[in-house]
Amino acid sequence: MTSIPSEPLKDPLFQLNAVLWLTQPLPDGGEIIPLLYARGFTVYAIAPLLGPPPDLRLAAQQAQISMQDMIRPDVVLTHEGDRKFAFTECKASSFSPTSSAAEQARSLLVVAGPRAAEVLGLAPGDISESLLAFVIPEDEEKLLARTLANLHEELEGNRLPAAQFSVLGLQLTDTDVSIVINDLGSAFFALPSGTNPFMKREPDTDPRPLYFIPYDPDVVHSEQEKVLSKRALFERMQSTIVAATGRANPPTELALESQKILNDAMFGMYGHWENRESARHMRRLCRQFMDALTQAVNAVVLGAMVFQPVEVWKISLENEEQHERVIDALTRFSCETLDLRTEPQPGLFDDLEDRGSVQQD
Amino acid sequence: MTETTLRQIRDRHQIIRFFDGYAIERMEELDERKLKRPLVKSQLLEILDGDEVRTPQGLQTILSRRGVHLEPLDEWLFLATDRQTGEIGFLERLRPRIVAIYSTMKSDDFRRCIRHFVLRSPEIDHVLLSGLTFGVLWELVARLSRPHRFTRLVFTHDSIFDIDSASSELEEGEEETFQDSGEEELEQVIERRATSFRLIDRVGVIQEKLEALQKLYSPLYAISQMRFPSPVGRGGHDFYDNGRVTNRSESFRDHRSHLLFVVRIYEQLLKSTEEQAWYSIQESVAVPGQFRKIVGAPVVIRFREPLTPSVFDYWIAATFERKRNRFRLWGHPIRLGPTKVHVYGVDRHLWQPLFLELTAKGCTAIIPNGTCGNTVHRLVTNIQRYLDPGAEAFIGDKPYKQMVEESTQGIPYDLDTE
Repeated sequence: MTSIPSEPLKDPLFQLNAVLWLTQPLPDGGEIIPLLYARGFTVYAIAPLLGPPPDLRLAAQQAQISMQDMIRPDVVLTHEGDRKFAFTECKASSFSPTSSAAEQARSLLVVAGPRAAEVLGLAPGDISESLLAFVIPEDEEKLLARTLANLHEELEGNRLPAAQFSVLGLQLTDTDVSIVINDLGSAFFALPSGTNPFMKREPDTDPRPLYFIPYDPDVVHSEQEKVLSKRALFERMQSTIVAATGRANPPTELALESQKILNDAMFGMYGHWENRESARHMRRLCRQFMDALTQAVNAVVLGAMVFQPVEVWKISLENEEQHERVIDALTRFSCETLDLRTEPQPGLFDDLEDRGSVQQD
Repeated sequence: MTETTLRQIRDRHQIIRFFDGYAIERMEELDERKLKRPLVKSQLLEILDGDEVRTPQGLQTILSRRGVHLEPLDEWLFLATDRQTGEIGFLERLRPRIVAIYSTMKSDDFRRCIRHFVLRSPEIDHVLLSGLTFGVLWELVARLSRPHRFTRLVFTHDSIFDIDSASSELEEGEEETFQDSGEEELEQVIERRATSFRLIDRVGVIQEKLEALQKLYSPLYAISQMRFPSPVGRGGHDFYDNGRVTNRSESFRDHRSHLLFVVRIYEQLLKSTEEQAWYSIQESVAVPGQFRKIVGAPVVIRFREPLTPSVFDYWIAATFERKRNRFRLWGHPIRLGPTKVHVYGVDRHLWQPLFLELTAKGCTAIIPNGTCGNTVHRLVTNIQRYLDPGAEAFIGDKPYKQMVEESTQGIPYDLDTE
């Protein structure tokens, strides 16, 4: 049985998915209160690749302020009616002004600042107000607010226009999960200042909702959290394969490409990763899972499932009876039998697959 | 009427004449309480959207994969036969995704025949009318019929996950339909809530009492059959929750008109369910290719009363540890608490992915883009039937009932429009 990590608030995937749930249309009186959706906020972009304008990067260089050329805020929220944009970043803990995370934070402060419309490719009048919002466990809130204040002062002092910021603290009690919000965030999101419960919690129950984004190779999280998100990713890959096989009409040969499996499992987010190492890591995970699944299927129907380089698995379904047996094998397989702590091994075809995915981009 | 084999009928006109005459004869026999041949019944089926369903040849191919031969009579009307049964009836495409099979087979034989090919086909599904959908259709019946007309409602709820259910009862089996039983003494003693009863009364009387009764006793939300009184004569058309419709009127034309009326609503409901519920990552309009956002809405089903931990456990075990389960779901539950699991699973009938959070208080489903709306209707229907007859459902923040009501807007209720 997969054990459930005890501290979801520190899990950036929990934070990201919680923010996504806060913007979903949901009925009143339910387990999740979509505070942001109720105030008119929706998702504008998930992990968009953004960079500070070149003149500001030059200004930063001249002032010897280190910041990242390109960054991906976890999610950008918008209130279309009020033309507000919130650049949202999820963090497990605070960081010091000298850390590498501070370089990212400086870029975020610039990107979300007065030049945000330009950064997003919008006309100047398309944004009336923008904000950088950090989501973090509530007990880290004060520390992070201090760090951000320092960074803000540093940027402004060097004529680098920086965004207003707010730290949204996540708080877990026996009965609910809340966002603790300061006055600035309260005014921006039109939420009451202080503690805003948004997710009910049953005793002895993990508050994690269903994840829209089950896995992110770029996120650093604990071993336990990694195991849980890998399990969710594998389960979703398995559901993709079971569904495709169930729909097939024998006699036929089903071709399952890693790119499609990963995109189906991730709502299309896999195709979005420009980071070659991350994409490669995801394909290795896919191969780790598919190799185990192939073994399980072939133990029941010898040779029914084969790997075909570069990145295709083929399932032969010769007749109704074989179809039934393959489905049985696919559905009986459980990724709980895998060692989810083991990192996937490099493959012989990694380079070829890289080229394949580049061509497809 | 002399015995006519279906093969002798060569066009649409002859089919209507044949079934009209057949319906009048059966009504006369019903009056004399001596039914010599089975009533005409129709089975409404949903065909999964795709390229094949868009052409008559494609439709023939889909059915032929399940051993059903379709012989064309006109573009979208066929004689349906198979090796085992012989003549099944006539199959007509009523709407792009919905067909009807009209048959004079005996009820049990027809049900077995349909079940035989529907259960094995990921492309064909029953039209599924949940208690919530029937609730809205009932309001239409009340508006369309004079108050003195008689109608018939059947309510079916069986808390099969409650306690001492025998294992076979938790597996999918023959669909249960209400039947009078002369063997009450042989009835097994099972201590769990089970409601299955028939109510026949005047439309006006039921309209006046039903809502209040439902508030008092929630199984009355689980309508599983309902009669549309025929406006052209006595009797009416009995709609079942699995899309079967029995003609108990004197007119086949009227029967077909009622099928068209309901399937237009159903098709609209499928479309709006899919439009609103499908989740995907889409490109932002502002900067195509650069920014992606998440679109869709979760399906939320909320139980009127929370399940007890033992019922919850039994429901999860009986659903995900059995290949042939009543909910027709597959998945490996990830336990997050005593009464909370996540399942990244599959609808085993249509073979569509479905992500579920199941708790004692209800169910939240994420439906990936492309998943058929019938997956949602099956979930709602089964929850009302087996877990909580008074469950409320929502697509996003919109009540499912409101969605059904909106699907009825602008649907014509007239005869011979198609």
